[in-house]
Amino acid sequence: MSKDKEIKGYRQQPGKIPFAKPGSGGREPFSKLRDLEMIPKSEGGYRAQPKGKNRHDHLLTGSTIGRRTPLVDSNWKVTGQAKYGDDIRLPNELIGRILRSPHHYARIRSIDTSEAESIKGVLAVETGQKHTDLFGVLPVTKDEHAMAVDKVRHVGDLVACVAAENESVALEALRKIKVDYEVLNPIIDMKKSLKDVEEPIHNRGKYHIGRSNVQKRVFQEFGNFESVKNPYVSSKSKWKYAGVNHGFTEPHAVVADWEPSGRLTLYTPQQVPHYVHRSLADVLKIPMHQINVHRTFVGGGFGGKSDPFPHEMCAAILARKTGRPVRITFDRDEVFYTNRGRHPSHIEMNLHADKEGRICGIETDALIDGGGFASFGHVTTYYNGVLHTAPYEIGSFHYTGARVWTNKPASGAMRGHGAVNSRCAVELGIDDICEQLEVDPITFRLANLLPPHSSTITGFRITSIGMRDCLEKVREACDWEQKFRKLPFGHGIGIGCGFFISGSGLPIHWDPNKFPHATVHLKIDMDGGVTIHTGAADIGQGSDTVVAQSVSEVLGLPIEMIRVKSRDSDTSPVDLGSYSSRVTFMNANAAISAAIKIRDELIKATADICNVEEKSLVIGDRRIYQKKDPAVGVSYLEALHKAQEERGALISSGAYRTPPMGGVHKGAAAGLAPAYSFSAYAAEVKVDAETGITEVVKVWAAHDCGRALNPLSVEGQIIGSCHMGLGQVLTEEMRYTKKGNLLNPNLLEYKIPTIHEMPEVVPIIVESNDPEGPFGAKEAGEGPLLPILPAVCNAVYDAIGIRTNELPITPDKLYKLIEKKVRSLKLDSPLNLPNPKLNYSKLQNTLEDRADNHKVRDQDRKLDPKREPYYNGTIFGKVSTIPPEEQDERWTLSVTPSEEYLANPRLAGSAWKHVEVRHMKRGDET
Amino acid sequence: MKSPPFKLFQPTSIDEAIEISKKFVQEQEDFDWIAGGTDLLPNYKWHLNTKPNVISLASIEELHRLDSEHIGAMVRLHDLAKSEFAHPIIRKAASSIASVLIRQSGTVGGNIALDTRCFWFNQAEEWRRSIEWCHKCDCGTSADCRVIPNQNELCVATYQADLAPSLLVLNAKIHLCGPEGSRTLFLSEFFELDGIKRNVLKQGEIITHLTLDNDISSWSGDYQKLSLRKSWDFPEAGVAVAWRLSDESNNENFELRIATTALESVPRLHQKLTSDALKNNSTIDEIASKLKKDVKPVNNTTFPPNYRKKMVEVLCKKALGGLKGVL
Amino acid sequence: MSNSPHVPMIPTGQKSSWDAVINNRIFDDLNIESNAILLDVLRDSVGMLGVKRGCDLGTCGCCTVLIDGVPKLSCLTLAAETKGKQITTVEGLANGSHLHPIQKTFTECGGSQCGFCTPGFLVVISALLNENSNPNDREIKDAIEGNLCRCTGYQQIVDSVHAAAEILNSNQSVKDNTCAQVDPHPGIDRTTE
Repeated sequence: MSKDKEIKGYRQQPGKIPFAKPGSGGREPFSKLRDLEMIPKSEGGYRAQPKGKNRHDHLLTGSTIGRRTPLVDSNWKVTGQAKYGDDIRLPNELIGRILRSPHHYARIRSIDTSEAESIKGVLAVETGQKHTDLFGVLPVTKDEHAMAVDKVRHVGDLVACVAAENESVALEALRKIKVDYEVLNPIIDMKKSLKDVEEPIHNRGKYHIGRSNVQKRVFQEFGNFESVKNPYVSSKSKWKYAGVNHGFTEPHAVVADWEPSGRLTLYTPQQVPHYVHRSLADVLKIPMHQINVHRTFVGGGFGGKSDPFPHEMCAAILARKTGRPVRITFDRDEVFYTNRGRHPSHIEMNLHADKEGRICGIETDALIDGGGFASFGHVTTYYNGVLHTAPYEIGSFHYTGARVWTNKPASGAMRGHGAVNSRCAVELGIDDICEQLEVDPITFRLANLLPPHSSTITGFRITSIGMRDCLEKVREACDWEQKFRKLPFGHGIGIGCGFFISGSGLPIHWDPNKFPHATVHLKIDMDGGVTIHTGAADIGQGSDTVVAQSVSEVLGLPIEMIRVKSRDSDTSPVDLGSYSSRVTFMNANAAISAAIKIRDELIKATADICNVEEKSLVIGDRRIYQKKDPAVGVSYLEALHKAQEERGALISSGAYRTPPMGGVHKGAAAGLAPAYSFSAYAAEVKVDAETGITEVVKVWAAHDCGRALNPLSVEGQIIGSCHMGLGQVLTEEMRYTKKGNLLNPNLLEYKIPTIHEMPEVVPIIVESNDPEGPFGAKEAGEGPLLPILPAVCNAVYDAIGIRTNELPITPDKLYKLIEKKVRSLKLDSPLNLPNPKLNYSKLQNTLEDRADNHKVRDQDRKLDPKREPYYNGTIFGKVSTIPPEEQDERWTLSVTPSEEYLANPRLAGSAWKHVEVRHMKRGDET
Repeated sequence: MKSPPFKLFQPTSIDEAIEISKKFVQEQEDFDWIAGGTDLLPNYKWHLNTKPNVISLASIEELHRLDSEHIGAMVRLHDLAKSEFAHPIIRKAASSIASVLIRQSGTVGGNIALDTRCFWFNQAEEWRRSIEWCHKCDCGTSADCRVIPNQNELCVATYQADLAPSLLVLNAKIHLCGPEGSRTLFLSEFFELDGIKRNVLKQGEIITHLTLDNDISSWSGDYQKLSLRKSWDFPEAGVAVAWRLSDESNNENFELRIATTALESVPRLHQKLTSDALKNNSTIDEIASKLKKDVKPVNNTTFPPNYRKKMVEVLCKKALGGLKGVL
Repeated sequence: MSNSPHVPMIPTGQKSSWDAVINNRIFDDLNIESNAILLDVLRDSVGMLGVKRGCDLGTCGCCTVLIDGVPKLSCLTLAAETKGKQITTVEGLANGSHLHPIQKTFTECGGSQCGFCTPGFLVVISALLNENSNPNDREIKDAIEGNLCRCTGYQQIVDSVHAAAEILNSNQSVKDNTCAQVDPHPGIDRTTE
């Protein structure tokens, strides 16, 4: 490129000598022309996107949004330079180890640490006695200590910790700590936790529910229950789901360092550094400003690194006592003792449909096993119910849920938090109903979807909904018409759908009306690079990348010029971290609003330099110029320097908060989100009826993520979710003996699918263009896990005609069901089992017509800016624009069980038989 | 995870190795052999029957020899799986072991002498403390057996190695060497029905190699393995079969061998079953059904014993698939 | 309660000298205990923190390194038995600032999400590509069956291997990672107009 071809960025004022160009020396000296009209076409979908307009469309510069963008931190990972928890090695470090309980449930009478302390090389031995402050992830259910204070609540519960010069000495010291236990009667079976006992696992004071081990109970009734009394068809099932663990590859690790200033820096692979920050302040009794939480690279989270953990407290306590940095790294079995995985659950699910093929009722009862501590369980209890009230329009919804304590490692949040198990039950119920109605399950679903911009039965505000697209695309891609109920025996195909929150509406630690959910700061100085400060925790899902992309897009800069500082709580704004699939939606929105401020300044500076109107300017590749004459304009750097005059670095701050929404009933905030993701998967399986071995052959996975900001990551999340979900449906299970011992706390016996079990996954990105999402985006990290479980289960039915109601469907369990059926049909071989067939009833045509009509309805609602409200219930003949409870007095809205219900409650419902201590009449309390 | 300290010895010849072991035997000091380490080291990290001395066989060149009739004890499982010398049944069994990374380290001798496994045994020290120890290790605590309670006489830990049944059906001989000299026996005589004792190896004795008859190429057969996943997992049941048809038109010179693994504390060659079957002209289905009745798994691995037992029948049918029309 | 069968953990203090060539660098001044595991030596003494500890029992593959070019689980390898050998960890795959093709394609194809299993995959795949510069799906799967990834579902890892093979077979090299990137002060390239 010869020099004379380069032109100055703007028509220079005569007589002025240009400054040196501090940004020069880069590899690409020329700006690339971009057709700004073409930009909204994203790579993710099949068609030109987005559908309709988005409020961020005018910010698109064609830089990175919609492009397959490698993760901004991936070079650290591929060169081995990424520092995870255990890779933080500070000079003079000590090794911390934890003494764990050998008993399921016991009172600690005394602990003698003297012998351990006398070992050469041991610098500190600490117990729970001096650290009695409670902490926990949810402010309403703090029930954890750094180490056991009075009781141990499960095998592996923390009893004491040791800091020593090396691991061997620390391990030896643990053996020399003498603990005198009074062994108590453990409760292992979650059903027993519903009953009153002498010694409940926790004491919640006036909030305690009787003398039981019920930690949280939920009752909800919405809709018209007349229709449920005499339904046309029903599907009733009783499910058992085993608990599963996140199985991230990096075991927990933490390094605590009290700096000479007296401040603590805690290095930890955390999804939610802010909660650790708060908990450390509680336990250590120091103000939060005296703590810096440094998030290291996180070797997989999936919800399992989102609680503040006792071992993090232990490391800080040991480091404080010894005056030296302390590193604690877990063995894999300790990871399983810490757990916080998906709750083992008993779910009873009744689904009812009427003659018209409408879902007139869902009755769900979920008893979930929380293990020894509360963790996120309060929320999980709600999620097991409320997160299956969409995407279908339903006539009534009854939910009773109870989370109980047992003497096992604590359950908590795991990818698809609370929604996965009950979703699986619903989707199988729908398949069963379709079988009875003799209709196609995809048609049935298409004829029962909520439209865009509608309200669910529990009052969630649905904005964009790509469910219809997901179903239609999957149907086409997998060749459904040719396969469903038509494959030979042993081969099957099944469908499953999903619905998940894209960010939680309520920031649990503060008033959403006062503080934003997410804040992002930008700083740009003379070098032109943009520094983003965000508290969003990159756990491998690519949150740093998506925030960088958002800023790069708005400012028209290549992503190489963006650097993300998201590690230290000292420098990053407070953020709720990476859970409930909130990061893309909330942090990218905050980043966009921060970038808009910088953008405005750059445009104003350009207008000043070029003496043109601000309105006439656009941002392209590293240049700001007049749209009609691109030669008139300046480089990004020139505009930046102009804007910096008199003031130095540009800084800006952007924030995101959810709009006001949702109902006012108790628990209305649970499951409330500014947007929801939708997905539909079809899975094709091969089942060997002689062995019960199920092999998933191929999966077609359509997910509505609003807009794929980074299709590479969205596809990665979809495929990865399939893998994790396949584990839960086929092989993974935390196995406990009857006495409560966890049999498989290691990665050999905890069976995560290997590459040989992984089918080909065809990811299909559906972009519904959410009106409030950043550039239209919604979540893609958790929702994609939901549909794989029911898709596989339904496919197994299609293959051999057997419905499971217990996960995982390990070969031995499936074989038992096969044998049972073979016996009942008096067959001589499993290979002679009948292959399910389908002959459509007349209803099929009705449903097809309704689906077609609804498709038009949905499209109209999507594009009509003056659309009217749409309340769930319309399909049952209610006026769509008025809440059903206002037009029908039989439409229930209740969150407390009636006397009538309590006379004959279902399993989890029986938790309501106890009276909360604070509600007991005086004198009743014993 | 850390093993307790031990002294490591790295002899470079069989003689030197036996010299060292002889000394330990004489001085009644405890020691272990280590071959590939993929079985021993996890056990040591879990503090399972650790010893203060470990003798490594890795540097002994003569144990690495591999040809069609001779399989050295230190031959890597991966090399065996890829070897042109190895019989197809052996190759199939070898390539089904654990994962390719384990096979790169694990050895033939180590797989033959694999420690028996049990849910209550293969756990960390802290875990075993929570069940007040287990009979197979932590002896001296007079712990009970958790699989068959109220006794601590018999250990029923399961032998879960893949290689043994295919070598058994090929009539392999195993060659041992120890302080009292060398000896050779049929592999079928090598194992002992006790989860702790496991085999006939005497104190200080090692496996040097296996040999196969020079006519093994005339044998056909198969190995079928039951496991939940296709990588990493130990067999939950394994059936190897081998047969030879001297004259295809005539059953009289027909020979058949069947061996199973992962169902008991030892792998087993089902000699009586096959000889009866041949005598009675049994069908494949009849043989499979008899084999099912001939094994007695217990509840200490991933799958319940009932299921494993039933699957033996299916595996056997599949393994004998090549004989359809003959039997 | 029965007695504890615990074996004391405190080392005897006897160490022996150990040397190896790690990522082409000679380490000959290290002393190790005889029960030392290679993974521990690499991480704690040598400082190769790219070698990851996932399960410590051979069931995740995160700790894989090349010993004389052969991928092995360093968590199940006695350090003493690797004395004098050539060891390659993930840190040794790049050639200066030029990434190995598989490192580059892992970033571009999404082979790495959280990145913790990545070092193990990379060394295994580099060994595979060394042996077979154009592996098919079956061969790739067989080669990485000992590595556990919880994030990607493996599909994008397999894609990465194919993409790397393409680079290798085209004899292109990966560009220097440190060369100048973009200029924030661009002009207009009129040649494209």
